[in-house]
Amino acid sequence: MMETVFASPFFGITLSIAAYSIGCWINRKTKLALLNPLLISYLIIIPLLLVTGIPLEWYDNGGDIINMFLSPATAVLAITIYRQRDLLKKHILSVTAGSLAGSLSSILIVLTLSKLFGLSDEITMSLIPKSITTPMAIAVSQNLGGIESLTVLSVIITGITGSIIGPVLIKAFRIRNEIASGMAFGSASHAVGTSKAIELGEVQGALSSIALVMSGIITVILSLLLF
Amino acid sequence: MKILYQIAIIFFLCLMGEIVSALLPFPFPSAIAAMLLLLAALFSGILRIDHIKEKSDFLLSNMAFFFIPAGVKVIEHFDTISSIWWQFLLISILSTVLVFLITAGTVSLVMRFEERKEK
Repeated sequence: MMETVFASPFFGITLSIAAYSIGCWINRKTKLALLNPLLISYLIIIPLLLVTGIPLEWYDNGGDIINMFLSPATAVLAITIYRQRDLLKKHILSVTAGSLAGSLSSILIVLTLSKLFGLSDEITMSLIPKSITTPMAIAVSQNLGGIESLTVLSVIITGITGSIIGPVLIKAFRIRNEIASGMAFGSASHAVGTSKAIELGEVQGALSSIALVMSGIITVILSLLLF
Repeated sequence: MKILYQIAIIFFLCLMGEIVSALLPFPFPSAIAAMLLLLAALFSGILRIDHIKEKSDFLLSNMAFFFIPAGVKVIEHFDTISSIWWQFLLISILSTVLVFLITAGTVSLVMRFEERKEK
């Protein structure tokens, strides 16, 4: 009976949507950036699975179906870019420079800090693609010999950090240029940061999607060249 | 039916993306290949945004939701993480802050440079 209920794909999907709805609701009510919907979802789902002893494989029967949508969700980012093609054409130089600076600095900072903390090669390589969107990060991590789920974890921490800290940094450093802040969201914190940038405005959202794509591609190329 | 067609178009693009990614001699994420194909289809006029608008808006506005299961998998790696969790967290957070500022700084700088050149 337990298995019939909890191993059904409907369980994982319903639980995820319920947790996410609660996350969105709390986030809307409190208006606190730290109470990010994604973060709240994890704080609901992970302890729930651990306490009840429902195996991850059961949850994943539904989870895998949600996972399948990562690829289409990434693909339709093309629309955001297409809608802003004039903006992209106009700022192609600063967009390219920003993505290149962001990708390169992300890799160098991770390498430096990992060395400083004496982390193993396996963990360092898992952290290298942390600034780019999940499907691309997984590809880079596999290529470099990292641990896939550690990469996913780091990518998600990065995304949540970006969407929480981004607006704070914009205020603290008085980044009034919407193109610069949009680029920063996408290049530092991929799609999760982009969802925050979309909330801030259409220009930020568009530049953030452009940056997430450009940084992703640049990071893939850099990882092929550097390692 | 409209939504059904839109799902079909987007999933077909993802399938094509997987084919392209399998054919390339180096590892290239299929999702990005699909995105580039969609971009090419839009620019060439093969597809118009209203062909896929509702489905795309659904995917774009719920983007964060689709990341949930990938992160829940961390349960499997608590052992690896437990000995280095604070270094892991610190690197993830610190690098995000620095990359955010470096990117914003670079873009502002290049734009200022461009504006000056225009004048």
